Amino acid sequence: MIKANSVIKVVDTSEGSLQILRPISFEVKSGESIAIIGASGSGKSTLLGLLAGLDEVTEGEIFLDGEALHTMNEEQRAILRGQKVGFIFQSFMLVQSLTALENVMLPAEIAGLNNPKALAMDILENVGLKHRAHHFPNQLSGGEQQRVAIARAFITSPKILFADEPTGNLDAKNSDKIESLLFEMNKEKGTTLVLVTHDNTLAEHCDRQLTMNAGELVETTKTQAQETKEAV
Amino acid sequence: MSMSFNLAWRLFRHEARRGELTIILLAIVLSVGAVLSLSLFSERLQGALKSRSAAFIAADAQLRSDKPIDETWFDKARDEGLSTAKQVTTRSMAFNGDEMTSVDLRAVNTTYPLKGKVNITDQPFGEKQAANLLPEPGHVWVQSRLFQTLGLAIGDAIEIGDGIFVVSKVLVDIPDAGFSIFSTDPIVLMNLDDLDKTAVTGPGSRVRYVGFFAGEPDVVENFNNWLLPQLNDDLHSWRTIEDDESAIGASVARAERYFLLASLLAIVLAAVSIAVAAQRYAQRHFDPVAIMKTLGATAKTIRKIYLIQILLITALGISIGLVIGFIGQQIVVQLVADSVDVTLDVWHWRPVIIAVATGATCALLFSLYPLLQLFSVPPLRVLRKDISASMRSKSIQFIASGGAIFFLMWMYSQDLKISAILFFSGAVLVAGLLGATFLLIAVGRRLGSGSMGPWQLAWARIKRRAMDNSVQLISFSVTIMLLLVVLVMRNDMVSQWRSQLPEGTPNYFLINITPDIKPSLDRHFKDNGITINEFYPVIRGRFVSVNGEGVNTEVSKEDDANREGRRGLGREANLTWSNVLQKENEVVEGIWHGTANANYSEGRFPVSVEAEVAKRLEIKLNDMLTFNVGSEIVETKVTSIRKVNWQTMQPNFFFVIHPEAMASFKPTFITSFHLPTEQKSELTALLKPFGSITMFDVDARINQLREIVDQVSVAVEFILVLVLLAGTLVLVAQVQASMDERRQEIAILRTLGAKGALIRQSVIFEFVIIGSVAGFMAALANELSLYMLQTSVFKMKASLHFEYWAIAPTVGAIVVGLLGAMGCWRLLTLNTSQMLRKMV
Repeated sequence: MIKANSVIKVVDTSEGSLQILRPISFEVKSGESIAIIGASGSGKSTLLGLLAGLDEVTEGEIFLDGEALHTMNEEQRAILRGQKVGFIFQSFMLVQSLTALENVMLPAEIAGLNNPKALAMDILENVGLKHRAHHFPNQLSGGEQQRVAIARAFITSPKILFADEPTGNLDAKNSDKIESLLFEMNKEKGTTLVLVTHDNTLAEHCDRQLTMNAGELVETTKTQAQETKEAV
Repeated sequence: MSMSFNLAWRLFRHEARRGELTIILLAIVLSVGAVLSLSLFSERLQGALKSRSAAFIAADAQLRSDKPIDETWFDKARDEGLSTAKQVTTRSMAFNGDEMTSVDLRAVNTTYPLKGKVNITDQPFGEKQAANLLPEPGHVWVQSRLFQTLGLAIGDAIEIGDGIFVVSKVLVDIPDAGFSIFSTDPIVLMNLDDLDKTAVTGPGSRVRYVGFFAGEPDVVENFNNWLLPQLNDDLHSWRTIEDDESAIGASVARAERYFLLASLLAIVLAAVSIAVAAQRYAQRHFDPVAIMKTLGATAKTIRKIYLIQILLITALGISIGLVIGFIGQQIVVQLVADSVDVTLDVWHWRPVIIAVATGATCALLFSLYPLLQLFSVPPLRVLRKDISASMRSKSIQFIASGGAIFFLMWMYSQDLKISAILFFSGAVLVAGLLGATFLLIAVGRRLGSGSMGPWQLAWARIKRRAMDNSVQLISFSVTIMLLLVVLVMRNDMVSQWRSQLPEGTPNYFLINITPDIKPSLDRHFKDNGITINEFYPVIRGRFVSVNGEGVNTEVSKEDDANREGRRGLGREANLTWSNVLQKENEVVEGIWHGTANANYSEGRFPVSVEAEVAKRLEIKLNDMLTFNVGSEIVETKVTSIRKVNWQTMQPNFFFVIHPEAMASFKPTFITSFHLPTEQKSELTALLKPFGSITMFDVDARINQLREIVDQVSVAVEFILVLVLLAGTLVLVAQVQASMDERRQEIAILRTLGAKGALIRQSVIFEFVIIGSVAGFMAALANELSLYMLQTSVFKMKASLHFEYWAIAPTVGAIVVGLLGAMGCWRLLTLNTSQMLRKMV
């Protein structure tokens, strides 16, 4: 589903060029869930941005569901994101001036799906927020906002879901709720999941962990969960 | 399209309801409201003033000609929908038995006057009343003086040329009588059909033909454009009230320019506030754009959504602005209705179109750069908040904003000069301010170090937010400068108007005072408690040659077109002599002959010539001028050229000769005095002992003039208030916009435990610093703009205004500081968690 070949990212700074990612190569299979972990500044979010087509590689190749992301311009990548990708962010990234329902409808409308309102209502019901559909983000708690974000991410039934520290802004109780919701829906929809996290419990839930250090992919480990799955 | 529209409409609806569009909406409402109310009010006022002023030329426009005016021109004017009237003017002699005198003959057709009234009375010097009709054929109406001079009574007959006419009314005045004190002859008004009977317009006579035209301004202008190529500069002159060089014409023209200026400044103010608001609007939408792009929205979709939203905002802003602007000016009109005669019945479309165009152009062009910035926000911002718009070039912003302002000013004023002056001084101000900002930052770097008190915090913030502050400083300065220009311009203009007609301006003139009765007249007036002004000696003389070359002393219609030789005055001149330069006279070339170092020789006495007449008759410094006074020849040499302010109510002379030259002549004297209008009834008794003296009553004219000046001044003050109001609102919008940006910083400071007082004081100090610097820069730029405006647009004396160098920074510091305090107070009433939540 995702294939990265010798991906390099270099940025220009006032002190010259800075290589943020050393050549990175790996593959993610369809339906697989992986966690990218590592210290702050190790390049996790940069890698996520590249894989999701939010940013361009300096060198190397990225294939997303068989499409060569590295050859596309921003317009083509936007269309691809709209069709195949869902996102969840640490700071929720809801449009503040739209209601929960309208936020969830947004990707469906952009993708031109039929009856986005009904779809959004259904999925809001799934995340237990139907009664909050007409509230604005600032009227919702952090946990509720992230549930809206999850609903928004799944409304278009994306093939791949990228999540950047999805529980980073939440307390333990809400983190647990979000975590189980995320994996439930992931399982239900058969989505490929790529998430960046500091949260070990969350990482442990994924099939594999990619560990980043100073821009390099240093280790790929199977999680206990995966081993258990395989043993079964 | 429907998806983009739905999304745009949804965003617009929610954001408007949640108050997120308040600032940009307010800016558009303000711009449209201010421009509409100002231009609607000034249009109405101008309409009123114009129709009033039109009375002084008896029409909206006059065509004066030395030859009969082509009848087809009148036909064409009537076809276009203009009303027309005719007048033939000449000087002639009127006889009553053995008595005779020179008269100013005005023969008019029945449609005269198109504007203003002919006033008559039944008794000489009686109470005037407006005449509905004109003299019937065979009848004439004559001025009171003629009754004195010719010993007439109502019903008597007088001879003019070959015709005999019955004097049926006393003529008090006609609208286009003019102001000249030396148009000494009494007016005789007759029916145009009677003119041929007099046969006074034959060869050798000096006749002026006047065509009057009145109608809608654009029709008059179109007619003028059609007529212009057919006119001969030597024969014809086209006059409108704007060309009127009298005090009224000048006041109205100046007032019009002031209204124009005030409206232009309102446009600039509006533009500044929209620019500030649009920038803020775009910044607030960086996140939503990044989110939508991340979720798959293409650049085209984003462009559509935001263009539709801006159009929706603009449409709403314009609609509210139109309503508020209309109500605003209606209130002003009601307030001034007592003191200003404003036409209320006419609906003017031009201001509405201007207001809508201003709102739309400002909103769209000033949003252009912020929107382009918005469109360029990369989707990666969802992961990295520090990434904002990828557009770095500010040149598009400067070109778009500068171009928009200049375009609006030019389109609105149709006057490249006034637009260029304002634009240029604005540009200089902006450049100066950029320099000042960097200087300020350099100073602040020193002051801002040390322990963290409110001053240090204020300086540190100014330093850190250098670019934002420079933009804010520039917008504050431009606002303050524009307010200063409008304020100072109004003060200078009103005081110069008032100085033209100070209290005690002479309202009566006496002429034909012989030297033997001069002392007794002086004494008699003193005994009655009336101060007589200076006596000017006057003698009639014919200007006959320049450097020995003869000039045409008579101008007739036959020789006018094919004139040979030098141009002359065409009539006798009133010569005076004095060593003292009159008030409001200024020597522009040579040396005034009364000064000690001016000497003369060769038996030629110095003469000072008025600048306009010198130009017209091609007289230069050191030319030898010869005058024929009675049977004597007076040889003179031009030693000075004078500029004369014709707008003053005092006798002015083309030629002032050295007193020695005239020592042997017996002059008559002319003088003037002021008598309060309520004492008018004492006049007859006052003048009874001096039957040979002729008196001119200009009291009514002066009162009319003063009334107009007062009305214009009141109107100008209201416009000043409107502009001040608009300016204050702009400042409020600017402070509000910047407060929004400060919220995050205040939240952090509060979280870190900073006391409310420290935050409040630091914010106030920051605004005080910005306000005082902006005020000072504005005062400097104000001098530059005023100098250019006064010298090249308003034709006034330029002056420096040092007081504002202190007032502007002080007021700037206080007002901006206060606004900062108010904005900050609102933020401090929110608790920290509310603020932090708003930051997310």
